[in-house]
Amino acid sequence: MIKELCTLLVTSVLINNAILNQFLGMCPFMGVSKKRSSALGMGIAVVFVIFVASIVTYALYYLVLVPLHIEYMKLIVFILVIASLVQLCEMFIKKTSPSLYKSLGVYLPLITTNCVVLNCCLANISNGYGIAEMLVYSIGTPLGFALVLYIFSSIRERLDTSNVPRPFKGNPIALIVAAIMAMAFSGLAGIV
Amino acid sequence: MKILLAIIFLLVMVSIYIGLYLLNKRTPLPEGCEDLKADCEGCHDYSCTNNPAHYRKKEELQ
Repeated sequence: MIKELCTLLVTSVLINNAILNQFLGMCPFMGVSKKRSSALGMGIAVVFVIFVASIVTYALYYLVLVPLHIEYMKLIVFILVIASLVQLCEMFIKKTSPSLYKSLGVYLPLITTNCVVLNCCLANISNGYGIAEMLVYSIGTPLGFALVLYIFSSIRERLDTSNVPRPFKGNPIALIVAAIMAMAFSGLAGIV
Repeated sequence: MKILLAIIFLLVMVSIYIGLYLLNKRTPLPEGCEDLKADCEGCHDYSCTNNPAHYRKKEELQ
């Protein structure tokens, strides 16, 4: 069981990476990857929201939707749960930690539209995960997202000071870097 | 009966969201966080509140 959970963790972080393998969350990937500090803030916020959203949606699905036989409502219910959680998180952080709000505040509303969150909640159900698997997958997926976002932002910071040919400056070279990163990550498939 | 349950459940979820949204709006911002902006140049998602198009003047957009 532990071996399977470790495999699931490695798979969700590196091999089935949300950004580079499933092409989810491309908006924050391109938009919030210009500075390492912003990428780190966004990464932490996404880890927190995905983990909490997955637990809440998993519980709602099996404790409310399934007993009431209204499983077809899962999509709209999950979207509402994610949007509500983001509001709750923002309010909680505003009240308890102004310094954390200063670094995360602007990125918190962006998470509502981040499709990685919804995908993670839906995958927990469609893959038929148990509680332990759901917890591992819900921490692995956002960690993979945060890792790739941080690596990408580090490369983009260095690219800003590099001598890039004029037609490739900005987004074109960033997309080429993303493609190379995706190829590099696909090479990790052999480790599991 | 199932449809009624689904509608009631959906209404409950929507009201929870609206309640949390209003509470969040009314919560005062911490000191020094009144004018926070993301360092994002914006994409084509104009519904995103961080898109700089929201801060530009009307003349600039035309």
